[in-house]
Amino acid sequence: MPDFISNNIATINFSLINIALGLSIFITLFTGMLSLANAGFMAIGAYTAAVIATRTDFPLFGGFLLAIIVAVVVAIIFGLLIVRLREIFLAIATLGFGEIVRIFFLNGDKVVKAFTGDENTNVFNGAEGITIKYKSPQDILGLPETTWPLLLYVAVLIYFMITLQKSRFGRVLSAIRLDESAASTLGINVVRYRLLAFVIGAGIAAGAGALSTPIVRVIEPRNYVFGRAVDILASAVLGGMTTWIGPVLGAILLTALPEILRFLKDQREIVNGLIIMIAIIYLPRGISDPRFWSSLWRKRKSGQGNAAEVATEKEKEVKTG
Amino acid sequence: MTIKRGFLKVSLLAALVMLVSLVLAACGDNTATPVPATTAAATKAATTAAGATTAAGATTAAATTASGATTAAATTAAGATTAAAASTLTGDIPIGAVWSLTGGAAIYGPSQKNAADMAVDEINKSGMLGTAKIKLITEDDRSVKEGGIPAFDKLINQDKVVAILGPTLSSTALATNPVAQDKKVVVLGVSNTAGGIVEIGNYVFRDSLPEASVIPNTVKATKEKLGYKNVAVMYGDDDAFTKSGYDVFKKALDDNGVKILTTETFKKGDTDFSAQLTKIKSLNPDAIIVSALAEEAAGIMSQGRQLGIPTTVKFIGGNGFNSAQLAKLAGAAAEDAISGAAWFISNDANGNQNFVKAYTAKYGTAPDQFAAQAYAGVYILATAIKNTGAANSTAIRDSLAKLKDIDTILGKFSFDDTRNPVHTPILQIVKNGKFELFK
Repeated sequence: MPDFISNNIATINFSLINIALGLSIFITLFTGMLSLANAGFMAIGAYTAAVIATRTDFPLFGGFLLAIIVAVVVAIIFGLLIVRLREIFLAIATLGFGEIVRIFFLNGDKVVKAFTGDENTNVFNGAEGITIKYKSPQDILGLPETTWPLLLYVAVLIYFMITLQKSRFGRVLSAIRLDESAASTLGINVVRYRLLAFVIGAGIAAGAGALSTPIVRVIEPRNYVFGRAVDILASAVLGGMTTWIGPVLGAILLTALPEILRFLKDQREIVNGLIIMIAIIYLPRGISDPRFWSSLWRKRKSGQGNAAEVATEKEKEVKTG
Repeated sequence: MTIKRGFLKVSLLAALVMLVSLVLAACGDNTATPVPATTAAATKAATTAAGATTAAGATTAAATTASGATTAAATTAAGATTAAAASTLTGDIPIGAVWSLTGGAAIYGPSQKNAADMAVDEINKSGMLGTAKIKLITEDDRSVKEGGIPAFDKLINQDKVVAILGPTLSSTALATNPVAQDKKVVVLGVSNTAGGIVEIGNYVFRDSLPEASVIPNTVKATKEKLGYKNVAVMYGDDDAFTKSGYDVFKKALDDNGVKILTTETFKKGDTDFSAQLTKIKSLNPDAIIVSALAEEAAGIMSQGRQLGIPTTVKFIGGNGFNSAQLAKLAGAAAEDAISGAAWFISNDANGNQNFVKAYTAKYGTAPDQFAAQAYAGVYILATAIKNTGAANSTAIRDSLAKLKDIDTILGKFSFDDTRNPVHTPILQIVKNGKFELFK
């Protein structure tokens, strides 16, 4: 394993987890829904996988599949209730969902006790959470075995996002985001597609939660507080929401930046915050904003001469934009 | 369509640039080693001296700089020879420290950092380890596992530390310490009190007395002195620390034959405890056991007294009481609150008063228990390194495991077979807004 990877494996792992989470909120944002429920679905995924890992002999993949199934079922039930809500109302309802999930895992044992009548059941273990036994990860083809599933998962998700944006389904979601009433007059069942996007987002978040268990190792309710939902949203906002590249870049930046800045010691958090603030102010459409990069690209070209072409392109821009 | 594809290409390129810059930044961090720095300084001094001699009129300055350069060179040379000659301790001994300097636990981390830095300075100045010096590399974990795990990775893989102090939070320790155990690097927790920490493996130690050893002592001693038979219990059920504190209290009360009249719960951040306290008041307990952090404990005490729970009914608690905040927030209601603790500011253990004085002089505030345990932790590690005479992790581990009855500011200190600390906990009571020894 190259030194760079082995030295930064934790950062790489957390980046991959956050990319998956960023993509999970991207799909709902792409449909024009501001959903903050993804931290809750991540918790559902992580707890399902952790319970499977500590109580059965199933491999991680089993926990991963079950986590997605559980999250999808919960998302369908909850989604039917809230999918007609708009904008800030949806945000508040989903935020509430995240808290319900967290509090459920905090007190889940009381529910289990009430059902089984056994005083000594400790499935979720309250505030202390579930601790996954650490196994020294073996290297497979130059990467630890815990990183491979995450990498594959993220690769599959990115492939899904690329095809989504070109597919009919993706265009339907786009249409709903741009103008809901126009979309419904075209015969699109808005509610069904919104529900579908919500459920897919939930499934992705749960999968990320499940695959994060061998890396986070302690699954406790504190991991999935409101701040986590904001972090997930932040990677999409910072990266940009126009293409799937946005959440990917945003997640990498938000995860890696604090680690890269470690040499700053006490000033680290200040510089970290400053960089993010500057990025948001000067790139309000995210760091992956295609307009910003293409204008940079054009400037570079104009530096090599041919100012006339730039002028015409600018004219074009004025006309179109 | 073509334009859109163009955007995609550009964005991909941007992603590539970002990745490359990330790689470069990380690599740049790697290459920064302290050794060339000294050489560079020496060379710089030499060149300055050479340059100055050519200039007329600045002879004195030149002489001083030149002599300075020679001394520096001589010391480096001397250092090198000692390193070559003796196989015992020389040079820098890299020790890591992971504190929560930002984030939710940032009220604990800084005092740990201050105390550990101070202890390292003292040890390096005193020549306790001969010519060797401890090089303390401090990392912040932002109070989350996502910060602690990379911090441990960095300390172990890049800085090649022989031991790590911390991390501040137990939940972070549960996630990070298996990595150190796997790579056979000693971890000495100085504030981890939860269960399951030292069980991670034989390289994991702690000098922070777990609640499981403090609370039984608290219950036994207070029961003897106060003679209570029936108590009411209150605890915060959404916090790992207060919840595990409650579990230990319950067991200790059962063991001592004390009857629990009622068990009431609350949540972190609650401000109104009147429902629970009214119920408790109606049951007339002899004492009220509270497993809470200082903020909630203060609320419970002041509201309890307001509701008319007589002052003869004492509040007894765990380490959560052990904060100057308690008396500040609860005022007169905190009077006579009793709690067990691992360390006490006025304790007469060897060196404790010097530590309190030095810490207060240096940082302008009195040390708390977190500072004391971090300070003691550095000395315990240094003693282990001194005893074994080698700066490798396995030797330090074996040496730590053998430590018996050494003098620390926590009192006579040993590790037991499970790498848990052994020293006498103390009982304290609030009198006139200050902690005093409970007798």
